[in-house]
Amino acid sequence: MRFVIEHLSKSYGSKEVLKDTGFSFESGKIYGLLGRNGAGKTTLFNCINGDIPADRGDFFLEEEGERRKLSPEEIGYVLSTPTVPEFLTGREFLKFFMDIHQDTVRDPKSLDAYFDDMKIDREDRDKLLKDYSHGMKNKMQMLINLIAKPRLLLLDEPLTSLDVVVAEEMKQLLRSLKEGRITIFSTHLMDLALDLCDEIVLLSHGRLESVDRSQSGRQEFKERIMEALREEDHE
Amino acid sequence: MNKTFRISFSLKNTYRANSILYGLKQIPLIKRLLPDTLYRVRGLKIFANVVSALWEIAAAFLGKFLYFLILWAAASGLYGERAAAPVFLHIFVILTVIGSFVNTYLFNPTRDKYYALILLGMDAREYTLIHYWYAVLKLLAGFLLFGLFFGLGKGLSVWMCVLCALSGAGIKIFSAALSLARFRRTGKPVNENMLGRFQWILLFVLLAAAFGLPAAGLLIPEMICAVFMVLCTASGLISIRYVQRFDRYQEMCRGLLYQMLHQMDQIPQMVRQQSEKVISSDLGIQSSKQGFEYLNELFIKRHQKILWKSSKRIAAVCACILAAVTGLLYLRPEIKETVNRLLLTFLPYFVFIMYSINRGTGFTRVLFMNCDHSLLTYSFYKRPRFILKLFRIRLREIVKINLLPASVIGAGLTLLLFVSGGTDNPVHYLVLFVSILFMSIFFSVHYLTIYYLLQPYNAGTEVKSGTYALILWGTYLVCFLLMQVRLPTLLFGILTILFCGIYSAAACILVYRLAPRTFKLRP
Repeated sequence: MRFVIEHLSKSYGSKEVLKDTGFSFESGKIYGLLGRNGAGKTTLFNCINGDIPADRGDFFLEEEGERRKLSPEEIGYVLSTPTVPEFLTGREFLKFFMDIHQDTVRDPKSLDAYFDDMKIDREDRDKLLKDYSHGMKNKMQMLINLIAKPRLLLLDEPLTSLDVVVAEEMKQLLRSLKEGRITIFSTHLMDLALDLCDEIVLLSHGRLESVDRSQSGRQEFKERIMEALREEDHE
Repeated sequence: MNKTFRISFSLKNTYRANSILYGLKQIPLIKRLLPDTLYRVRGLKIFANVVSALWEIAAAFLGKFLYFLILWAAASGLYGERAAAPVFLHIFVILTVIGSFVNTYLFNPTRDKYYALILLGMDAREYTLIHYWYAVLKLLAGFLLFGLFFGLGKGLSVWMCVLCALSGAGIKIFSAALSLARFRRTGKPVNENMLGRFQWILLFVLLAAAFGLPAAGLLIPEMICAVFMVLCTASGLISIRYVQRFDRYQEMCRGLLYQMLHQMDQIPQMVRQQSEKVISSDLGIQSSKQGFEYLNELFIKRHQKILWKSSKRIAAVCACILAAVTGLLYLRPEIKETVNRLLLTFLPYFVFIMYSINRGTGFTRVLFMNCDHSLLTYSFYKRPRFILKLFRIRLREIVKINLLPASVIGAGLTLLLFVSGGTDNPVHYLVLFVSILFMSIFFSVHYLTIYYLLQPYNAGTEVKSGTYALILWGTYLVCFLLMQVRLPTLLFGILTILFCGIYSAAACILVYRLAPRTFKLRP
């Protein structure tokens, strides 16, 4: 399975954020999307997630030579600032999600089993989400996004504001879940990207480009990425 | 000094002109005509600068004009023409004392002060003094002009009117000097927007004295007013030197603006906390339903405070008022005819009443803040069939919530019509009752529809749709104007029922067609 972007363009007024760009992402890999502030990482995610319309271009899943559009439930989108419905408890949110996905979630587990997977303590499960800590809200958001087993998982700087323990738990979780799906992980932190991701994709000058890391050591690879991102200043 | 004056006014003007251009860019249709680079288009800049200059002039005088207009109206409207001059003076003197601590000019942290002093590092002393004396001069000019205009009209002498203006400025300067001295002593700057408990009490006591005492026939004698105003003027003159020579403006402004900066940082957090506060923490609240009905039931139950409780309270108040009027009809049968006539011609007035008691805007706001704001970031929630399913459930709920007070009002009015003498045509009763219910349904549908079609909020919970704001404003205006309309209840009632029925059907069709595309977070 591949997720293919073709000729994608998006402008805000006269500013072209995405310029006729394309890329092919392969299943089973975590892609680190690196770009400078304002490079268009969130715009790219919002276009894919259908939150804003693209001006031109297309994106689709390709399986066994067949191309098809992604349905909303095939996309998981985790934002940097976790957003959860504050008036529900963690258990109620999960129950609501399971209720409306009872026909689509394969091999559903008990609610507590899901909480156990995410290491959410028993006493926290029946608290209102408004009283959850930032890290717990993030786990809850991740859990909801993962249960439906989305084929494409978009993560917009999800680990930046987490404490080290939760961040490490999340990293392990993402690694364990990468099979059978495409994970695109946007971040500002190069070390995190190098640590977690199988491939590095740069978004610069409105275009997506892959950086080959096979031939170089970590330091040399970092310098090449920096060099490529700095070029944007000289345009 | 001259340079500081020029730079600071140019800065204030730029800030204001850009705000005007930003405002234009929010207006539907006009925003399409304006280029993205509008902030550097010369013609638009000139236009905004002209508007800004006019605004400066208007602001200098309009406030003072309204101030004296209120004084004038209060003096003659509340207590009759005969005692106008003493009442005018009485209210003026007390309001001037209030103004000395709630509108100081010196201790008001504003954004342009923040830009000039914190971001651009201008000389705080020069900046503060220039703006302070400029504001005092504007006050003197405005007070002289309108003081003479309204004061002479009320029978005050010329010298008394001039004294009004001088004392108005004098007490402000004196109060400023006192606050500066206090800052020197305590190190804490006074912020006129954050009055202490003592000042609030003083404010209310003085307001009551200003407008209440004349009602009891008590007025400050004219001679005492005159002496007080002379003292204010003299103390102002003496204080000029202190204000001018004060040497710790830098420190004072930083303290004042730091407080403001702190407040500004807290705003998004405060909005969030405010929204979360209305969520009931009672974990005994549960639901045995499934899926979206489950979500909805928990939402309604956990927001009882602002939905059902509020609706029940409104219904109870309406029931009490209607019962009181019914009782009055029995006690004073002579007013029956008037009430009967009003009921048969005043139905348009009830559009505004139904508008005022509708919980629609509160419902959609809390829907967004506590529910959709987060759930709209999940793909599953945006599936067209789910959006429409939830729309149906929510429409049912908001209609139910609003129908409670509506049915009380409808039934009450019908009863009043009967008790006040009835009507020859029994259809009147039905139309009166049904049209009130339809008005309520109309507002429920209206608010939920514009919420689903325009979804005005962004992820930061700011309203980003000019169209939405315009429609809300337009709704208010139409309802307000309808208060002026007098039409036979039968005709207006039937028209209302037809209009509300057609509008609601059309709105639902539009939501079904468009909401799957429009109901999303704004970028």
